[in-house]
Order: sequence, then structure tokens, then C-alpha cells
Amino acid sequence: MSRNEGHSWHQNLSMWQQICLMTSTLIGVGVLTLPRTTSSKLFEAGWIAPLIGSAGAFVSLWLIVKLSKRYPGETFIEYSHKVWGSASRPWVGKVFSLPWISIYLVYLYFSTAIVSRVFGEVVVTSVLWQTPLEAMLLTMFLLIFFLCMHEVEVVARVNELLFPFIILPLLFIALASFQKAEFGNLLPINHVSIRSMAEGVYEGIYSYSGFEIMFVFFAYAQKNTNKELAGFYSLLIAALLYMLIVVAGISVFGYEELQRVTWPTLELVKTTQVPGFILERLESAFLAVWVSAVFTTVANAFYVVVYSLRQLFRKGIWFQRIMAAVLLVPLFYFSLIPQNIPEVFQVASLLGLSSLFINLLIPVVYWVVILIRDMMSKREEKDVDG
Amino acid sequence: MSQFFQAWQKRKEALQSKALEQYTNKSMESVSDVTLTTNVEENIQLIEAQFGKCDDLVVRRFQTKSKAQAAIVFIDGMVDRNVISDFIIRYMTTPDITYHDPATNELDLTDKLRQIVRNILSGCAVLIIDGCQNAYLNNTRGWDRRSVEEPQTESVVRGPRDGFCETLCVNAALIRFRLKDPNLRVRHMVVGERTQTDIYVMYVDGIAYPPMVEEVIARIESVHVDSVLESGYIEQMIQDRRWSPFPQIQNTERPDKVVANLLEGKVGILVDGTPFVLIAPAVFSQFYQSPEDYYERFYIATLIRLIRIISISIALLLPSLYIAFSSFHPEMIPSRLVIAMAAGRSTVPFPSLIEALFMELAIEILREASVRLPGPIGPTIGIVGALVVGEAAVTAGLVSPVMVIIVAVTTIGSFASPSYSAAIAIRMLRFPVMFLAGMFGLYGIMLFLIVILIHLSSLKSFGVPYMSPLSPLNLTGMKDMFIRAPHHLLKTRPMMFHVQDKTRMREEDNRK
Repeated sequence: MSRNEGHSWHQNLSMWQQICLMTSTLIGVGVLTLPRTTSSKLFEAGWIAPLIGSAGAFVSLWLIVKLSKRYPGETFIEYSHKVWGSASRPWVGKVFSLPWISIYLVYLYFSTAIVSRVFGEVVVTSVLWQTPLEAMLLTMFLLIFFLCMHEVEVVARVNELLFPFIILPLLFIALASFQKAEFGNLLPINHVSIRSMAEGVYEGIYSYSGFEIMFVFFAYAQKNTNKELAGFYSLLIAALLYMLIVVAGISVFGYEELQRVTWPTLELVKTTQVPGFILERLESAFLAVWVSAVFTTVANAFYVVVYSLRQLFRKGIWFQRIMAAVLLVPLFYFSLIPQNIPEVFQVASLLGLSSLFINLLIPVVYWVVILIRDMMSKREEKDVDG
Repeated sequence: MSQFFQAWQKRKEALQSKALEQYTNKSMESVSDVTLTTNVEENIQLIEAQFGKCDDLVVRRFQTKSKAQAAIVFIDGMVDRNVISDFIIRYMTTPDITYHDPATNELDLTDKLRQIVRNILSGCAVLIIDGCQNAYLNNTRGWDRRSVEEPQTESVVRGPRDGFCETLCVNAALIRFRLKDPNLRVRHMVVGERTQTDIYVMYVDGIAYPPMVEEVIARIESVHVDSVLESGYIEQMIQDRRWSPFPQIQNTERPDKVVANLLEGKVGILVDGTPFVLIAPAVFSQFYQSPEDYYERFYIATLIRLIRIISISIALLLPSLYIAFSSFHPEMIPSRLVIAMAAGRSTVPFPSLIEALFMELAIEILREASVRLPGPIGPTIGIVGALVVGEAAVTAGLVSPVMVIIVAVTTIGSFASPSYSAAIAIRMLRFPVMFLAGMFGLYGIMLFLIVILIHLSSLKSFGVPYMSPLSPLNLTGMKDMFIRAPHHLLKTRPMMFHVQDKTRMREEDNRK
């Protein structure tokens, strides 16, 4: 109980903290473009995409929960050895699990870069015209670094505290913009083909990436909490908010107009007027509060990267701090590689695709391996018995 | 948990073995560890040798009724002279009185020179009699003390008017008087190798979490410093994070506040010589909660609490919001107001960041000056500073009128916090956020707030997360966080301090 170590009273994440972690990571820059991306393929029925997308995300999240339940108290990094290796030859597990771990970490690493970049672009193009993009990225990375100095429980608490700052502005914008909504824009519902439906869902999937951080954080969940339920609630919250935003976007602008707007959600904010409100145009305020949503997305992802490296090399908190500082420097340059906004969007949709790939592939492959091993060990038992 | 308990057990054992050595620390080591003899003059020489040629050490020699040589040794000014002459000397010399011992209310016998010297220094009169190796330690402490007065820093409209004073035993009695519970425990400690300051650690047995109490005691024991002149010395040496701008231990001048906190499972630390009592652990709600909240009806209490939260936010953010709006986001301000603001600023030669920094600095100087000024002149400076300088600065075109309003509101807002040391933290943090607002506008303010939130989330005071019950979220605790729920809903004590006895109010005893 020394001054430096802190106490172990609150080390476990409560269900509410898990929900906050997941939801705040899910909701990031995707929301700013969501009405456009979903309605580009689904037209009037764009709001269906987040609903179906969330179902897909839930399947993947459910598999992740099951994995963490099979290896309670262990992160993805820790149980990967056990899935791939055997007790007699531990190096086998290490070698075979390494590609999966590195895919996972590299993906999270680059998603940090691209999300920061998108946010920097939004702020620089719409609010702080004279601020260089580099300054935005640098300040965001410094913020991320500051979070990475701390332990897991601090990350959970920060997400918990920022949660209302993420949910409330979105709710406010969505509800306030219904003053100008023309619900005729949402009709007709039924002229969408299955093919365009699938494409639309794929467009919306990028906005659901982020829950893969729970590969690590579920290990620190309290033992008696229902992780499936936590995952369900957080996806439900995100899906409802996304749906509200898309409905608001389509009903205010109509889907044709949405295609010509870079940041439709920001345009929604601009059209919002609150009678008697002392502030006239809200987009600066919205983007300022939106920093917290973006921060929780990028910082959680980056935290998972450095924390996983710390676990991989079995080092302490100081290793994590140094790694965070070291890894952020190249990240700064990576995030500056795309030359303009269309290129950023290209990379972002590529990343969305890879998130779908990673989120579904890793849990499925892991489960297949586990089930095969279970069958083999049962057969061996039978052989021994026989 | 079990690890934690083992550590606690170990510490407890170590404490018990150390308990006896508490009185012997460094400055007392210069006093030779000898025992008295049976000869009075030799003993007097022994004691005087320890004090050197000290002129306020009084030695009064006399003959007892049984014709034995005797002497009384004490320090002038620290004792009640009437007690010495009436109840020690007269009792020992008048043959009619058959009572043998001095008639003081606290009497101890010892032949250890160290203990004698320490007791003389804390105001005892020591009686030595020829032929007797033990000396009588009479408690005759009686120096001039300030009486119990209304606390200066924490006034309330409704609530008790008495505050702590500088004397430890009076302060302890003020707490005992309100909490007539035999489970109220007092642990006496001595800190300060030269000042030998007495410290009481108070807690309610059966409510306070024992490892937490032990942790407080262990940390105080680990303090090795030559002087403890105020409880701030202890506070700064036992707090969890020494580099944090936030106070992690609460201080108060109000006995009712200490009692309320003891009943929530916290620990009170009373230091001799100061009216400020420490309360550990502290959480963020200390910034805006006042004992008055519980005395007024809950609608009013909740409203006032919300007003305090708003005024603290104003004190922290208003100047930086002005900077951000005026230099980065003028489109957010309604157009009529922006024209008025621009007109006011048209003669101002500086950017709004410099203007705001200049005015904030001026108001901080004024505030500091008015604290130092002698009583009658203080208000004058306030009027001169606020009215004359402010008005003249606007007329001269150095600052805009809006800036004067903002600085004034900010200053008033920072006074609304019931805790002075918490308000200082807010005052201090106002300056970095102004710089960030000058660089990045609203984005800069948000960056700063997130940094502060991360820091607050990582803070712990004696194992209790600083932002609890907000994070980790505890819905029962939220009843007494931003709002103050009616008393009949506050049936349990706050859980975050790991209270042992959770019930504050039993169901069946109360009118439904």
C-alpha cells in the first residue's frame, strides 16, 4: 500500500465502465460522414445500414466475449500463446500467435493515425482555418501520450467521465435538427435491392470499428458482470445514435444533397438553431466538444497498442510510457501521408474493410483452433480410456 | 485484496513494536538518557544543564512539611501560576493539610530525565523532593489561548458558529462535544523533531476502514522533519501525489464539518497550534460542498450546490472562453453583441489574450494586497482597485469594458467555493487554460479540460479515487454529488470510503 503503487480496491472495470469504453471508442469521426456514406448506396433508407451493421458487429463482439470468458482475466496477448501453443512446447504458441497479434496491433496503430488525421482535417477546414494540420495532430498526440502514461483503470475512468460529452451533443444535434426535417425525404422505404443493402451496410461498418479494443479490456472486467450484455448495450446505444443522425441528415437535406456535402453531420450542426440560445453558430462548440469523442477513439486504440506491447515484452509501466513516446513519432508522419481529403477517405474506407476482416477473422479463426484442439484432446482422452 | 491485508497486518505489527519508542526521537537524543538521583540539588543541576543558561526556566526551592528539601521546576508563561502556588506549594508546605501529594488533576511519577525535560517543555511543573528518586509531573499547562471564535475562512449562514482554535485539546473537545460516541478513537502522535508537535488522529471505530486509518497513521509516522508549524506541513508530506495542483486532503476550521466527515468514514488529523484540521481522504466534491448543504432544506441546498458548480466553472473558464470567442470564433456570438464587443475593443492595442492576462494579473495583485493590508484599509484598496483602476483603464483605452466585467465575474465566482485551498487550485489553473485558448480557441480549452480530466481520474486520496462517486460510477453516491437528496433518502453512508457500518438511518425508526 505504498504511495506509488496505489491501491487495488478499484482495479476491476464495472459493467458501466465497459459500456463507456466500447461506446466511446465506437463513436468517433465516422459519425461526421455517416449520413453521406450510408445514403450513397441505400438512398432514402440509409438509416437501415447502422442497424444491420450493428448486428454484424454484435456477432463479432460476442465471439470476443466468449474468448475472454474461456480465458478469464487474460488479454488477447496473453491467451494467444495458449490458443496456438501447447504446454510442452511454449515457443510454438509464441511463433504462431505472433502474426495475429501483429496484425491486430498494426491495424489499431494505423487506425489511430487515420482517425486523428480525419479529425484534424475537419477542424482545420471548418473552424481553425489558420492553424496548420500539424499543430492539430501534435496536440492530439500529446494528449494521447498523456493518457498512455497511466494504468488501465485510469483509461476506464476517463472514458466514463467523457461519456456524457460524447452522447449528449449528438443527441442534441439529432433532436434539434428535427425542427427542419421533412419526413417525406425518408420515403419510400421499400425500393432498396438486397445488393445495394449489402453495399450500404459495408459503408456503415467503418463507424462500428473500435470494439476490438475489448480484446484487451475485457480481461479487466469485474467477474460477475455480464459482458455480452455490456457489449449489447454499447452497440445498441451506438446504433440508436447513428440511426438518429442518419435519419436527421436524410430528412433535413434529402439524400441527393447529402452526396455533395463532405461532413454532413457538421452541416446539420450549422443548420441547428436554438431559440433564445446565446450562441449563434454551434459548429465550433460542437467540434470542441467532439474532441472528447475523437480522443476516446484514438487514445483507447493507441493505449491498447502500447499496453499490448508492454504485455508482450512483460515489462512495467515505464516501458509503456517510453513505447508510447517512441511510437507516436512515426505515427505523426504516417498520418500526414495522404495528400488530400479524398485520399484520406480512401484510406479510411480501406481501414474500415480491414476492421471488418480483423474483427471477424481473428475471433473465428481462434474459435476454430480452440474447437479443433478440444476435439483432439477429447479423442486422446477416449484413447487413454479405451 | 488479500495482499493488501497482509501488508496492513505487517505494518500493524511494526507499529505496535514502535509504539513505545514514540517519544524518543532525534532532538530528544541530545538529552542524556539518565535517571534522577535522590539528591535535590543534583537533580536541579541535571535539569538545568539540559536547558543551558535559560532564563525563563524557573526553579522554586522550598521545604516540605516533613522538613525535606524540595523544588519546583517549570517554564515561565506556560503554566498556570495559581495552580502551582495554591495546589502544589501550599499543599506540600502547610502542616494542617494531611494530604501528601500535590493536588493537581493530572499527576505522573518518573525518574527518566528525558521524560521530565519533555514535560517541562510542554508546560508541566516538575516537583522534586529530597530522598525521593521519582519526580512528580504535574499538569499545570495554562498559557494564554485564543478563545473559540467564528471561523474566518468558512462562514455559513445557517449552522454552528464555533470554529477551531490553536489548542489541540480544545479542538478535540469541540469534536467530542458533538460526537458523543465511545467509538470515537483518538491516536496521539508527536511529529517534528524540534517542535515536538502533538497530533491527534481521530476516527470512528466501526465506520472507518481500518487499513485506511493505519495508512494515515503510517504516513504521519514516516514524516521526519524538524518542525511542524501548521497542519499544511503534514498535509503536503502525506498526500498521495505531491506534484498535483489539486488538494488531496481537505482542511477545515469547522468542528461540525469534521464530525460529519468522521461519520462518513474519514479520518481527522488535528495538529497542535493551528485551527485547521485535516480530513483524509478527500474527493473532488470538496470543491463545492459545504456543511450548510445539509442544514438547509434539500431544494435550496441542491440549488446552491449547482450555483457553486457553475461559479467554479466560471472562475476556471470564463476568461479563456472570452479569448477563444473574441479571437477565434466571433461567429458564435450573436451579431449585435459582437458589434458592441468590437466597438469596446477598438481602442485596445493588445490581442485579447494579453488583455485578459493583464487584467487577471492585476486582480490577483489586488486580491493579494487586500489580504495583507491591515483591517481598516483593506476595503479601501478594494474600492480603489476595482472602481478607480478599472474605470480608468477602460477610459484610457487599455482594456475593453467587456473584459472588466469578465474579470470581475471570474473573481467573484472563485470566491463561491466553500473551500479556500480548492479555490486556489482553480485560480491557478485559469492561467494555462487562457494560454491554450489564445493558441487554439475552443479546441485548446477542450484539450486542457481533457488533460485535467485524465489527471483527476488518475488521482487517488488514500486509495479513494478522486472523482468518485462520478467515476467509478456509484449511483447511491450520486445522491449526494451534484444534488443533495433529502435526508430520508440518504439512508446509507457513502460507499467510496469503504465504511464498515453502512447504515446511517434505520428504516423502522423513522416516520415514513
